[in-house]
Order: sequence, then structure tokens, then C-alpha cells
Amino acid sequence: MGKEGVKEQGSIPTSKVQRAAKFISTGAKVGGNYVKHYTKKVFNPELSKDELHKDNANDIYNSLSELKGSALKVAQMMSMDKNMLPRAYQDKFVMAQYSAPPLSYPLVVKTFQQYFKQAPLDIFDTFTKNAVNAASIGQVHQATKGDQKLAVKIQYPGVASSVTSDLKLVRPFALRLLNMNEKELDHYMEEVEERLLEETDYKLEVERSMSISKACAHIPNLFFPNYYPELSAERVITMDWVEGLHLREWLKTDPSQEMRNQIGQALWDFYDHQVHTLMEVHADPHPGNFIIREDGSLGVIDFGCVKVMPESFYKGYFSLIKKDLLIKESELDQIFYDLEFISDKDTDKEKQFFKAIFKEMISLLGQPFHADEFDFSDDTYFKQIFDLGDRISNDKEFRKSKQARGSRHGLYINRTYFGLYNMLNEIGAKIKTTKPDWLKS
Amino acid sequence: MEKTTAKTAKEKKSPEAQIKEAYITYLLEHGQAPASVFKFAKLLKMKEEDFYNYYNSFEGVESAIWTDIFGETKSRLDQDKTYIQYSVREKLLAFYFTWLEVLKSNRSYIQYSLQQIKEKKSLDPTVLKGFKSAFKQYAEELMSEGKETDEVVARPVISDRYADLLWMQAMFLLNFWQKDTSKGFERTDAAVEKAVNLFFDLIGKSALDSMLDFAKFIYQNK
Repeated sequence: MGKEGVKEQGSIPTSKVQRAAKFISTGAKVGGNYVKHYTKKVFNPELSKDELHKDNANDIYNSLSELKGSALKVAQMMSMDKNMLPRAYQDKFVMAQYSAPPLSYPLVVKTFQQYFKQAPLDIFDTFTKNAVNAASIGQVHQATKGDQKLAVKIQYPGVASSVTSDLKLVRPFALRLLNMNEKELDHYMEEVEERLLEETDYKLEVERSMSISKACAHIPNLFFPNYYPELSAERVITMDWVEGLHLREWLKTDPSQEMRNQIGQALWDFYDHQVHTLMEVHADPHPGNFIIREDGSLGVIDFGCVKVMPESFYKGYFSLIKKDLLIKESELDQIFYDLEFISDKDTDKEKQFFKAIFKEMISLLGQPFHADEFDFSDDTYFKQIFDLGDRISNDKEFRKSKQARGSRHGLYINRTYFGLYNMLNEIGAKIKTTKPDWLKS
Repeated sequence: MEKTTAKTAKEKKSPEAQIKEAYITYLLEHGQAPASVFKFAKLLKMKEEDFYNYYNSFEGVESAIWTDIFGETKSRLDQDKTYIQYSVREKLLAFYFTWLEVLKSNRSYIQYSLQQIKEKKSLDPTVLKGFKSAFKQYAEELMSEGKETDEVVARPVISDRYADLLWMQAMFLLNFWQKDTSKGFERTDAAVEKAVNLFFDLIGKSALDSMLDFAKFIYQNK
């Protein structure tokens, strides 16, 4: 997926009405794609759904990328959950992680003046007039001060205030795209809104970046930049510039298996420590948030999205990854209840059905934990996951259910693990899959 | 004007500045204009006829305040060393952002003044006349600079009206800002970016020009 596919944006829809109109027109296009698909299918019964998914993904992506802000975040988020989305959607959405139209320099100056009462060039010795990189809700400029090279991230204005209204716009759309019913969706939307609002708070991000970097400083081959709270504000973050290659670029240099394992292991250890020791986790493991440095260490450059896990959720969720679910049936039932996979509203038949599905899903997703070492380059493993996801989302019984499934806390933890697995797969790393003592069987 | 008065404060405030300042204070404290020039002049310990030496009416004072805001904006831009290096698009953006900053420090007065203008329902309010002509002159300068840098394409008939369009844009932004309830008027910042980008994308070289050119070519070769 290269930059060349990114259409330059002529104008951004401004008002809520226009944004809504954008969504409606996309909805219509997607509907059109279905019509096109089924008409073709009349003549050619063998036609697969791949083409349809590709058409849909194109239209959806084009509209989302023009909206920017939180809609873009949702696109990113959906692009992470590979199991939820067919492959074609996901390929197209990955682009959303790299491109968004830039802020003008005068507005950058104004933002600086608002927070620091000084223009960028009064604070730094040099400051690039154009952004060197786009983040999902902001952009990055390079600056120098003395012989220090710095990265300055600036957030687009009004993002925080548009999060809520954007999510409302995405809602009907997500309903259709994700095969979810309304109840289920609202259950999660609240969680997403909370995280997104946190993400727009750069002061919080600086605090978290500093505390997590400190807590993870002992992990080998991991690198954290310094942050400068005095040069950061609600919409500005100043940190050290991390020299190196993005994951995809690095992979193009054809690194040795040894290096792949080293980077992969650093990534695994980073998450292992956060999840099991800190119980708060960098919940946005997509390739754009990491830099591979020349000395073979992994730089972490974005702490926008952090999920703090409640103790009760943690225990329940991770006791599921024990090998072959060596837990008693009654114990398992209790965990399923606690994690809201099943509830009293379900009929016995539904309970049986969903228990079977979740058991299958969990034992599959828990596989890396079951041995001491796991080879993430194994594509057949990932194929299994996608197939299961496809099978589940196409299952009539599953779609019929009007019940919300799964704890809202699981949303970001699932996303974290999918992201982590995907990245390790891309890296092609063999990992020593460590786990905390209480999970060793 | 905070800044302008501060500058002259060292010598001695000019009578104009004194009148403007006292007028704003009076408006904000009483919520309405003074009953007569006579009363207002008395308050300033000034003869009524002296007042007329500087302004012919309260409207004249208000008009001068608006023009001052523009002047303050321009002088802040001229002091900024990076401003000269900007492209025309960036210059206009910088103008709006600075203008909004100056407006912000006079927001109460602006709110009052805009309210008055709306009540009178005049499409071309006399209070804004001085500001309008200064703004349009500035806009014309930007447009002719844009033509040199190829950011603006000269088109028959409409390109003479670009300055008018910009005036409408400025009024739109003023309105947007007046109603903006977001923190630090962030929504207005976004509105400025989008409005200016749209404007320059429309008046720059676009598919429309190629289309017209093509149509002309086909017509001529018929």
C-alpha cells in the first residue's frame, strides 16, 4: 500500500450537515455496490464476495479519509480488527494510518502562541514549516534546539469537540458494516468515546508516556524518547526525534531472522510487562507507532491510547488463555458470565451455542501462550483466525442474537492483541511467549 | 485599543484614543450609547465642539474602532518576520488568525457592535465602512500578488470580484466566531482553515479551467 494511492484532498466537509451528507452518500454507494454485486452474480454464480468487499472498502475509505478526526480513528480501529473485517476492507483502511491533509503553518504558529505566547521559531532554533508526518488527529513537525533534534506533534483544532458528534455519525454506518445490533454497538461506543476523548488530551499523553517509559525502561532492546512537558500543552507534544525506519520500511531492507526475532521479542516483552505488571497498556499497536533504530532496538513513539484494566476483568480474561481450558465447566461458565459473553437473557440453546464459539475462539487465540515458543510467521495460524472470524460473522445464529457480547474492556484488549499478533506476523518473528506465574500450568 | 493606546501612553494619550477608550468603557458599563454628544463630552471634561473636531458622531467613533482593529492586525503581521515569506494562502490565513486574536481582546465591544448592526438590518452598515475599504484594499493586494505567484488564476469578469468574495468570507468568519462556544474558539480556527483552503482551491488553477479551455478549443475547431 503506497502513498500514490492517496488522493489529494480538495476540500474538507465543514458543517455537521455536510459531514452527515458525506456519510449518507457513502451509504448509498455501498448499497449500490451490493446491487452491482448481486446483478453480476445472476450471470456469474461463482463470483466471490471479494470484489464487493473491495468496492465497499474503497468507498468507505474515501469518505472516511475526507472526514478526518475521529472518523479516521474509527477507520484505523476497524483496520486493526482483522478478524472483524474481511481482508479487502482491512488493506484499504491501513492507508488511513498514514495520510490526512495538513494544518497550515499560520495555524501552527497560532497554536503555539495560544499555549506558549511565542512562535515556534522563538522557542526552537529550526522548525519545519511543513509537517513531516501526519498522525491521525494531528501532525508532526521536526525542530531543533541546540544540537537536539525534536519531534513536535500538533493536534488539529476542534478534534475533541467533534469526537462525540462524529461517533454519532459513524454509528448507523458501523451497525451495517460490523453486523452488530444497536445494543451491542452502544455498549462499545461508550468505551470508544471515552478512549478517543482521552486521546485528544495531549497533556495526559505526555504524563502516560513518561510513566510507562519509566516503568518499562528495564526491558532490553526497547527505546523511549524523552518528553518535554514544559514544551507541551493540551494540543502540543514535544519529544525527542527518534531516528530510524518505520516497520514497513525496515522490512523492505530484508532484515535477518535474528534481527526479526530481536525486534519481535522486544515488542512482546513490552506488552507482556504492561499487561501483566502495570495493568495498563498502550492499546494502539499499529506499525506507525514504532520506529526501528539502527542499533536494532525498537522505539515507541506514540502513547495516545492507553487502556487501564480493572482487576476483575484482567483475572477473568487471562485465565481463559490456559492451555486447553483446563478449567472446570462451572468455573468457565462463571468467567463467561463475568466477561458478559453470556447472560441470563440467553436461552439454553443460545448459551450452548455461544459457549462453543467462544471456547473455540479462545483456544485459537490463546495458542501462542500454550507453548514456550511461538512462530508468528506461520500464516496458516492467521488464516485459521480469519476463517473463524468469517465463519462467525456469517453465522445466522450469531447474527440473529440481539444480545451484546463481551465486556467493553475487552474491546481495547482484543484490539491490542490483534494488533500485536499482526505486527509479529508481519515481522515474521519467533517469540519466547512469556506469561505470568499464575498462568503457568 | 489596548495595544495602540499603550504605544501612545508614553507621550500623552491622543484625544482620539481618549475618546475611543471612554466610549467603549461607557458602552460596556451602561449597555447603551451615551444619550448625547454633549453629555459624553462633559464626562470627558471636554467641550462638545472639541469632540466634533475629531469625530462627527458616535457612529464615527465606532467606525474608527473597527478600522483600528484592522490597523492593529496589519501592524502585528508586519512585525512578524516570517509573514513576508508566506505564500498568499498562508498570508490570508495568518491575517485571519491575527485578526481573530485582536477581536478576542475586544470581544465584549464587538458583540455589542454586531448586535447593533443586526438590529439596524443594514446590509452595508456605515460603522463597518472604513474597515471594509481597508480590508478590500488589502484583499486586492493579496490577489494581485497571488496572480504573480500563480496561486490565483485571472478569469474574465469574476476575478475582479475576488476581493468582494473575501469580504463576504471575512463577515462569515466574524459571524461564526461570534456564535462559537468552543473552548478557545477552536471551531473558528478550523472554520478559517477550511474556508481559506476552499477559496484558494476554487480560484487557483483547477479542472474548470482545463474544461473551459478544452470547450473553447473544440468550439474553435468546429
